[in-house]
Amino acid sequence: MKRTLAATAILLLAGTPVPAHRLDEYLQGTLISVEKSRMDAQITLTPGVAVFPKLIAEMDTDGDGAISATEQRAYVGRVLRDLSITIDGRALTPTVASVQFPAVEEMKEGRGEIQIELSADLPRGGPNRKLIFENRHQNGIAAYQVNCLVPRDSGIRIVSQNRNYSQSFYELDFVESGARSSPLSLAWLSGVKKPLGTVGLLLVAWLALLWGQRARLVKHVD
Amino acid sequence: MKNTIPISIQFSLSLGLFSLSLGTAMAQSATSRIVSSANAFLSTLDEQQRKSVLFAFDDEEQRKRWSNFPISIVPRAGLAQKDMNAAQRSAAMALVASALSPRGFEKVQQIMEGDETLKATEGNRGGGPPQGRGGGGPPQGRGRGGPPQGRGGGGGLMFGKDLYYISILGTPSEKNPWMLQFGGHHLALNITIDGERGILTPTLTGAQPSLYTANGKTVRPLGGESDKAMALLNALDENQKKQAILSFRLADLVLGPGQDGKTIQPEGLKASSMNEKQRTMLLDVISEWAGIIHESAAAARMAQLKADINETWFAWSGPVTVNPGSNIAAYYRIQGPHLVIEYAPQEMGGDAAMHVHTMYRDPTNDYGRKLAAK
Repeated sequence: MKRTLAATAILLLAGTPVPAHRLDEYLQGTLISVEKSRMDAQITLTPGVAVFPKLIAEMDTDGDGAISATEQRAYVGRVLRDLSITIDGRALTPTVASVQFPAVEEMKEGRGEIQIELSADLPRGGPNRKLIFENRHQNGIAAYQVNCLVPRDSGIRIVSQNRNYSQSFYELDFVESGARSSPLSLAWLSGVKKPLGTVGLLLVAWLALLWGQRARLVKHVD
Repeated sequence: MKNTIPISIQFSLSLGLFSLSLGTAMAQSATSRIVSSANAFLSTLDEQQRKSVLFAFDDEEQRKRWSNFPISIVPRAGLAQKDMNAAQRSAAMALVASALSPRGFEKVQQIMEGDETLKATEGNRGGGPPQGRGGGGPPQGRGRGGPPQGRGGGGGLMFGKDLYYISILGTPSEKNPWMLQFGGHHLALNITIDGERGILTPTLTGAQPSLYTANGKTVRPLGGESDKAMALLNALDENQKKQAILSFRLADLVLGPGQDGKTIQPEGLKASSMNEKQRTMLLDVISEWAGIIHESAAAARMAQLKADINETWFAWSGPVTVNPGSNIAAYYRIQGPHLVIEYAPQEMGGDAAMHVHTMYRDPTNDYGRKLAAK
């Protein structure tokens, strides 16, 4: 609300009519699609009019009124650094498949959308997989929206989507049919189960130790 | 175009043409009625206007040239109300009416009237308009940085009934597929006519203000969408509400303009977990969109959606109460195998419920692609 009042005040001071659409947020919509060996994310960034001056200052670093290809790359790099994507607890390093910047004038008017398409190969895992997408980009002014597209591959079934209130944190659980549980996979240890899993492993190790000591003792008695 | 006919005569002519068109229509099938109205409209136009209004049926750019934004921000193509004389405007509206149900046409008129109200309160010149984003950007594929193909545009005008565009894709026909588009700020009707079938997806409706007074009466163009959804939520038990109410904020449409052909994973409460009364209420909410088109097409569409009902989901995000007579300030989504409906209030510093965008899609058949491909 404070942001809204401030934005309205700025526009009134500038002699501009009261706005008809949202002004003071930076909409960041992400659509994620998963396949057996890769994931794609289409990120659409739409600056509101009131936050545009702050954002253009970060994009147009030489202040010439245009966003050059170098400045576009630098800004996309900053967006990427503010993202964190993991699969089964392992960090993914997505590559940029495509980028589209609108004209500065379009963004100034609140209708310009920056489109970034990312993709990443998924390492092999078990049948139950967990993808986590976190976005911290411009979190002070962001309105995040994250959704998963219905998989094209019938061998993938979405189990659940969980988010925090702002949708800066998004967790996708899905099942991959035909994938074998790897005996070495620690995927099931990811997320909230991690501490529990660690305790379980320590318990097993301790029992094994006790069993070994007991066996040696029995041998001595014999 | 200079108009020399006195306004009172123009009005009478318009009403006459409008009534004649509707009267004749009663005895015809829906499609022949729409085709007659389309031809009647086209016959009122001069050559230049016909060129503006007609597009190829497969013109993908024109199909996608719609938005929630005013035309000064996202220019439309076709013929604007402001560029027609009274008789032409009347014939255009008769054509739109012929393709819609009475309630659907009333909704369209109320949305346009709301924009006229906005013009009165906000003024009408953009010139670097102060609009923020509204969930809809420019149509895909038209390139960025300028109006598409140099057609359309409102000369900086922002709001008002004059700024709604009509266009026809293909040739009006009772047998072959063609499209009628009508829209502007907060309205995008994409109607595909294919024989006796009519498809209304994708369609965007919106309202700002979503509650206003006209002729002493309170008008809520999207009141049914708000009231029926609220009633459905209230009809759910606590366990059902836990599933239906999402724990996160939804600030905008997810599948708004530019998001054609995408299907997101459904969330919320599945209608198979509702009782019969609740499912009927859900269908009643859906009818607010499915019932915009003329009755026979709406009946066919409702039959399809009724058959899908157990695979249909209802999700809600935001306030779970509303003041009597007001609109909800919550987002909701209804999604099924052939359906996506989103209702998204827009926060803009005041009452979020006063500015609403909605989206109505069939991800398997937007623009009637499935039918037209056969």
